[in-house]
Amino acid sequence: MPTHESGSTAQSIEEYIDPRLKPLIKMPESPSERPRLIGNKCKFCKEYFFPKRVLCPNCLKEEGLEDVLLSHRGRLYTYCIVKAAPLGFSAPYAVGYVDLPEGLRIFSPLTVDNEKELQIGMDLELFVDKIREDETGKTVYGYRFRPFSI
Amino acid sequence: MGWNKVAIIGVGLIKFGELFEKSWEIMVEEAYLNAINSVDKGFNPKDIEAAWLGDCRPGAHGSQTLAGVSLVGNIGLAGIPCTHIENGCPTGSDTFRNGCLGVASGVYDVVLVVGAEKMRDKSTAELLSLASQGHPIIQRGETAMTMFAPQAIRHMHEYGTTKEQMAMVAVKNHKNGVYDPYSHYRYEITIEDVYKSPMVCSPLNLLDCCPQTDGAAAAILCRADMAEKYTDKTVYVAGFGMGTDVFYVHEKEDFTEFVASVRAAKQAYSMAGIGPGDIDVAEVHDCFTITEIINYEDLGFCSKGQGGKLIEKGETYIGGRIPVNPSGGLISKGHPLGATGIAQISELFWQLREEVRASGGFGDPAINEKRQVEIKKGYALQHNVGGRGISNSVVTILTNKKG
Repeated sequence: MPTHESGSTAQSIEEYIDPRLKPLIKMPESPSERPRLIGNKCKFCKEYFFPKRVLCPNCLKEEGLEDVLLSHRGRLYTYCIVKAAPLGFSAPYAVGYVDLPEGLRIFSPLTVDNEKELQIGMDLELFVDKIREDETGKTVYGYRFRPFSI
Repeated sequence: MGWNKVAIIGVGLIKFGELFEKSWEIMVEEAYLNAINSVDKGFNPKDIEAAWLGDCRPGAHGSQTLAGVSLVGNIGLAGIPCTHIENGCPTGSDTFRNGCLGVASGVYDVVLVVGAEKMRDKSTAELLSLASQGHPIIQRGETAMTMFAPQAIRHMHEYGTTKEQMAMVAVKNHKNGVYDPYSHYRYEITIEDVYKSPMVCSPLNLLDCCPQTDGAAAAILCRADMAEKYTDKTVYVAGFGMGTDVFYVHEKEDFTEFVASVRAAKQAYSMAGIGPGDIDVAEVHDCFTITEIINYEDLGFCSKGQGGKLIEKGETYIGGRIPVNPSGGLISKGHPLGATGIAQISELFWQLREEVRASGGFGDPAINEKRQVEIKKGYALQHNVGGRGISNSVVTILTNKKG
């Protein structure tokens, strides 16, 4: 089973990533890189989108949208700790909404040692790790956030 | 002067609860029968020209392709048009709204709207999974509670709303539920009980949440100018609105309000020609205690950020300035998604006619009447909000005033 540590190869983790999430994540190509989310940006109104859109909802145009790699760091806008889990998840787990510098907000599971650490405004970084188990019991990976201190 | 093109001439619901012994069809038929039998001057079912059926999670009770025929085919009305509505938590109220549009279009004179849901046939974990299954971004731990609990955290952070104020909503609605014979739960609770109940999704304890409830509700609508054929105590649809917002929760700019509700309310108030100060009683969407507090603000019952103080001052209790959820609300009465909106409308129909004592001939009149509010201006407001992104809201305003 791969870990999220940067030492593991992109290929080993990629096998486990939810195939539907693969177009949204750029995995690191060297140990010094971090996984990044792929969004897009409208060159007319400069707004960023995640997940990617095919039509800018502000300009109502499709031709201005360009793929961009999003910041892998952000700040916690709000959160909660889930004690009653849906199928494939084990409670308790934390989820939150993370504000990126681009002006985007990302919904994500959070990894914390202690739920008491969670605070609005805390710095978080993106990584790739286990999200859930599918119907066959196979582990499915995807993007998560965890605390990050500068 | 309200819109008043459509009249409600009958309503009916069944007792909400864990109805394992009742099939989906039986629930629907019983609610339908209660509605037609409630019409004051009698009702011939053959007067019904079209029907709408609200059900949000047909897959949860073995009727994946439910379709409208599962209503009309079972009540002897096979032949008339019937449309199935699914629209998240406002499914019932949107079903009602579509019935209003059908009558107001001039195509139909009399229509039937029914909403029903079986919420207990699946396990909690399965139900929690239903809304996110198959979606790559959302199926990463999102449930109904991960949409609303972070709103609570943010409302507490920005406005100082407290756990105690949230618990007060549950205490109030449970107290009201004792007086509603249709309510799933019929017991009072204390603030301490809320704190001691298991944590479901921090900061929401079990008693901050509505239960999973089976139920059905029905209403019969007709052209306002025909209502006297059926009743001398007509309740009119003074206005309605439906508001939408962004698809994903994460796209919402502000987690302390529901923009869809604000939009729906604005349309409904404008159509009815009234404002929040004209509302005598409201049935609003308290899927969680924090939701009711935010609804107070979105519907204009208080200013932004003041929802917690409104319940703390007791203004939304029966007897208060603006009684909210005299039926017990979703928290005590229950939330069978398809039925909820029409059940709220049924409650307001009885409130406006000052017939809560009878409550459609069910329950103990001496207990029922304890939830009758004082009707002063003659307007009542119904509200639901929910669906994907909490981005779907319906508001309906009813009145006992003609024209």
